Amino acid sequence: MDRRTFLKTGGAAAIGVTARPGRARGQAAPSAIRIGYAISLSGPFAPGAQSTSWSQYKLWAKDVNDAGGIHLKKYERKIPVELIEYDDRSQPDEVIRLVERLILQDKVDFILPPWGTHMNLAIAPVINKYEYPVIFFTATALRIRELAKRWPYAFFPLAQPDDSAAPLGTMLASLKSQGKIKGRVAAVHVAEQTGVELHSSFVEACKKNGIEVAYSKSYPLGVSDLSPVIREAMQTQPDGFFAFSYPTDTFMLAEQSSILGFNPAIYYSAVGTPFPAFKAKLGDKVNGVLLWGGLDHKAAGLAEYRQRHRAMYNRETESGAVGMYATVQVLQQAIERVGEIDRKKIRTEIATGSFPTIFGTLKFKDQLLIDPWTVGQWQNGEVVGVYPAQKPNAQALLFPKPKW
Amino acid sequence: MFLFEVILNALVLGGMYALVALGLNLQFGVARMMNLSYGEFFMAGAFAAFWTVMLWKLDPLLAMLASVPVSFVANWLIYRFLLLRLIRRSPDQDALDADVILVTFGLLFVFQGLAIVNWGGEYRGYTFLAVPVKILGAEVALNRLLAFLAACGLAAVLFVILGLTRTGAALRAMAIDPVAARLVGVDVLKLSAIAFAAGGALAAIAGTLVSTFISFSASIGVVYTLKALIVIIMGGVGRMMGCLAAGLLLGLAESLGGYLTDPGLTLAINFALFLIVLLVRPTGLFSRG
Repeated sequence: MDRRTFLKTGGAAAIGVTARPGRARGQAAPSAIRIGYAISLSGPFAPGAQSTSWSQYKLWAKDVNDAGGIHLKKYERKIPVELIEYDDRSQPDEVIRLVERLILQDKVDFILPPWGTHMNLAIAPVINKYEYPVIFFTATALRIRELAKRWPYAFFPLAQPDDSAAPLGTMLASLKSQGKIKGRVAAVHVAEQTGVELHSSFVEACKKNGIEVAYSKSYPLGVSDLSPVIREAMQTQPDGFFAFSYPTDTFMLAEQSSILGFNPAIYYSAVGTPFPAFKAKLGDKVNGVLLWGGLDHKAAGLAEYRQRHRAMYNRETESGAVGMYATVQVLQQAIERVGEIDRKKIRTEIATGSFPTIFGTLKFKDQLLIDPWTVGQWQNGEVVGVYPAQKPNAQALLFPKPKW
Repeated sequence: MFLFEVILNALVLGGMYALVALGLNLQFGVARMMNLSYGEFFMAGAFAAFWTVMLWKLDPLLAMLASVPVSFVANWLIYRFLLLRLIRRSPDQDALDADVILVTFGLLFVFQGLAIVNWGGEYRGYTFLAVPVKILGAEVALNRLLAFLAACGLAAVLFVILGLTRTGAALRAMAIDPVAARLVGVDVLKLSAIAFAAGGALAAIAGTLVSTFISFSASIGVVYTLKALIVIIMGGVGRMMGCLAAGLLLGLAESLGGYLTDPGLTLAINFALFLIVLLVRPTGLFSRG
């Protein structure tokens, strides 16, 4: 064997001996886990998006990086998280374009959802096509159960409209059978998809439970005075007033009801009711108001999270934001369990695993959350969960609502 | 009785619309600058009131002691250093109008962006005078009534200043024809700057008063600029009493119309009324024609 051949074969043998397969030595650990999102930083959805979603993404990233990052078993180290954000300006076509850009150009590792049902549903086909698992917290619509079957990578943790209204019907039926109410209600809704679907689900639930809906009207988003609507509802002398509303009509309805002296035994309003701005409007009068959603106010880690939130934003959090933060915790735990950036495996983990979070233990079935909170209430100056009654730390219904 | 209450509340709502529009009426009608960033000063007035209540536990109206002068000065500076430059270099009125709209549109985004970044985008609200007042058996919210009275008072004051004082005559002359006004010795630029600044001050007043009963966020500026624009176009640009009347009319259309038909139609009726006015009398209900 001549020298050249010896060096070639000897060299190849030496490399063969020193190279170690299975430890991915050739792939260096990524310097950061890149997480992208397009969210409404301006435009009409900005207030909701900032309060429920954007603030939580920032807080979560800070919490994760303060602890060193997300632990990836594959590289046996913690990798910090890097957020890449775009402003979708509250436009559905913008959000689709930006999410595609995040996936195709910025090549992010994960996508976090935008805010609002139609924004979420707009990008669901996109993230599903590129196989990015996303937990769409702010999405609720009657057709989501069907749509989820089309998009295996999309998860929907929020209570859907029919599940949200059903417990209200049974609650009313129970109170009626106990003789505590006559069984007559007034219902109004904002003329937006969520308001419409919640309202129609509620009317059906009432029909099923023998409850009379004596007043049923809608009003457009952005109306400046709801006192005529409240007066008309008052005329029907209802036991319960149900407003499937958005901010700012949620805040306006409560203030105007209080001014007009409308004191039904049951008062319910929807989006925005758990917000600090609602409590700021009503002060102590907030107790007894029922709301959509709810939370386990004694969940593990919640108190510490509230402190961190207050330290970062100088204001209180709200139950929707807590839920949002928890869904990002789910993503983080799924990544840690899989141990590497393998979105397919992570998707499987989210679909099958059980995740302890500040919003309670979360588990999905057919991509929908099992047993989400449907009805909550302001009690003792904080939001608690009421239905489903068997969930941890669900509180008994405060009935009747104290007069404003 | 019930109908009377609806009418009364509708008028009070209309007062709010007029209050929101008065400042833009000065800026567009007298200083002849279509200021699309008008609503941002309304929003700033609302935030000032909010902090006065939340941070210092004081009456939100006291916020005006600070927000009104600040808004006056800020708008004066915008006129003096931004809009004046546009006036000087524009070849004709149309080019000037287009430039002003584009520049103030840009300002809108600058102010809104700064507000969102620094103050956060979420909803703010507080409670102030949220008590009923009985007027001839009907109930009206005191905080809304206050906005209505402010609208009437300010419209009257502006009407008197514009109609019965020498400066007012100069302002009106300037609004009709700036070139001719200059020929008769009116210091058009100085008076325009003051009118523009005063418009900004009125925006802050409106923001403070409206924030007592409507929750707001850093993004609401555009919505109120649009509301103001509709009112002043309906009433006749530059006419103060016309602005008040148009506001009241819109309030009546919205609340009373909605009550008589269906609450879902409130905003549709509003815009339908606006369209009708534009078709029948495009220069505004109370314009000189």
